[in-house]
Amino acid sequence: MNVDNTLSSLRGQLPVVAVFAALLLVPPLFFDPSTTYLSRRFITVMIFAIFAMALNIIFGETDQLILFMGGIAAVGSYTTVLTAEYFAVSPWLTLFVGALVSGAFGGLICYVAARRQFTVIVLAIVTFAFQMIIMEVIVGLRDVTGGTTGIPFRDLALPAVENLTGMGAFAIQFYVLVGVFAVVFGVYTWLTNSKYGLAFAAIRQDEFAARATGIDVIKLKVFAGFLATAIIGFVGPFYAQATGIVIPGLFSFNGVDVLVLIILVLGGLRSRFGPLVGAAIVIYLDNLLSQFGQWRTVTFGLLLTILFIYFQDGVLPMAKSVYEERGIRDRLAGLRSGE
Amino acid sequence: MLAQGLELLIDGLARGVILSLFGLGITLVFGLGEILNLLLGVFAVVAVIACSLLLRAVPGVVFAGLIAVALVALFALVLDRTVISLVYREDGEDRILLGIFVTLGLSLFFEGLLFIYYPGSVFLDVAVPSISVAGANLTGSSVAVIGAAAVLFGLIYYFFNHTYLGIGTQTVIQDETGAVLCGIPPRRVQAIIFVLSAAIAGVAGVFYALDAEVTPASSFTLTSFAIMVSIVGGVDSISGTVAAGIVLGIIMTVAGSLFGSYLATVTLFAAAIAVLIYKPEQIS
Repeated sequence: MNVDNTLSSLRGQLPVVAVFAALLLVPPLFFDPSTTYLSRRFITVMIFAIFAMALNIIFGETDQLILFMGGIAAVGSYTTVLTAEYFAVSPWLTLFVGALVSGAFGGLICYVAARRQFTVIVLAIVTFAFQMIIMEVIVGLRDVTGGTTGIPFRDLALPAVENLTGMGAFAIQFYVLVGVFAVVFGVYTWLTNSKYGLAFAAIRQDEFAARATGIDVIKLKVFAGFLATAIIGFVGPFYAQATGIVIPGLFSFNGVDVLVLIILVLGGLRSRFGPLVGAAIVIYLDNLLSQFGQWRTVTFGLLLTILFIYFQDGVLPMAKSVYEERGIRDRLAGLRSGE
Repeated sequence: MLAQGLELLIDGLARGVILSLFGLGITLVFGLGEILNLLLGVFAVVAVIACSLLLRAVPGVVFAGLIAVALVALFALVLDRTVISLVYREDGEDRILLGIFVTLGLSLFFEGLLFIYYPGSVFLDVAVPSISVAGANLTGSSVAVIGAAAVLFGLIYYFFNHTYLGIGTQTVIQDETGAVLCGIPPRRVQAIIFVLSAAIAGVAGVFYALDAEVTPASSFTLTSFAIMVSIVGGVDSISGTVAAGIVLGIIMTVAGSLFGSYLATVTLFAAAIAVLIYKPEQIS
């Protein structure tokens, strides 16, 4: 009986193991030291998958729609880079300062939003306004931030590990990001399976009823907000590292928020692998379309419109339900058992 | 000093009435149908580009502007009958969220197309001569914009208070179900107001381009300005939006000339955030 239980729980974990094994195989299979282009694309997939995981925590779980993910990533990146420069320490240390500052900022906004009982749309507009302010301030304070010329940044490398393992800088960065993704994935899985997951579901269903059952709605919303924005702030510097420069253009609304929204909807809200699948599809599309200039914007605009009108529940969950509804799973199972 | 103040005030007022018009574009559609129309800036840019193209064929910016605005209205009508109708099928919070994402997607779609076909910047150089009053050299286009906008506000006021359709619109804003009971079809009113808001945005765009360069990227900036003005004005109040636009326009112009242009923009967004924190229930 026990053996059966262990077996079935192992079988449940099989997709997780398979996905992470596949991720670990990416650098040896696809990273070519002579061209950095493809490696950078894979790194971007991981970064956006983590961004989308963060949005899944705050929007998917607690219904708080934030539209300043680019701004938060910028806060994380600029804090990391500027404090590293100012105190002459490694950005590997100040990375955590950046995440903390981002999380505190995001948490504070979620606190005000929860206390003032913002609806989804009010929080969306307030955070969008903050996105615009952050961009303006970064461009305006050019003495500190370098304005639109930006600050060259390549210090999130691990030369010692490169020498030790003989791997390229991009491969190592990819593995670091897979590690971050694994941690976020683990935290998300734990959250949704714990009492927090239940509390989040209660908040989504009916906030007042949730409050009546003794759930501290404000605390949970702030917690989700802090966690999500700290994650985004933590990953921001890696995004800058992959580009080699910290510039405001990198963190624009269209460049980050729109893509993350498309990724999350493609992958499906509250889906564990959705963000990774969505990010892979969107970055692949982005790559495909980049040679066509502004047709990229046209396509993403069309994609966003169609996704929201027809596939609000996500393409992955929808495909899954079609798969189950049409009895494909049963037929496949029948085939396997030879019936 | 006084002369300089007057110049600043007139420029601020001109900027203010333009912001009011943009804000109205958001307020009308949101107040009426709860769709936060992120396409608004696209309507403005399309009107500006159409106007600059028409200027080659027809004489006078007024005539070209009117045709351009009519074209934008037609464009809005087509959108309303097709994609926007799908959004109106939903209701409550679902409609609000769907409205945001669908109009965001459409605005990216059209912004991309504009970038492909009209990538340059457009500036409607009509060379209105400047006017000297009490030693102050007032920008000609600013004075013209204030005058034209005053007429437009008068027309809008007349429409909402003295025409059947205008009063019907106010009824739908107050209570959609009640309006149905009075025999007012909300969906038709929503369509007319959507077209009207696009036309207002078109006019605002043409006014804006008299004094500033417009590129396809301006559509995003103009939309975000419009939303902020509408929020400061109370989102479903027409007079509130007009007042908010004028006050913000003057504040932005003064802040801009004293502390640099980026703080002017920051002021606008900060004002909207402050209003939303103070009165979040205005959008529900």
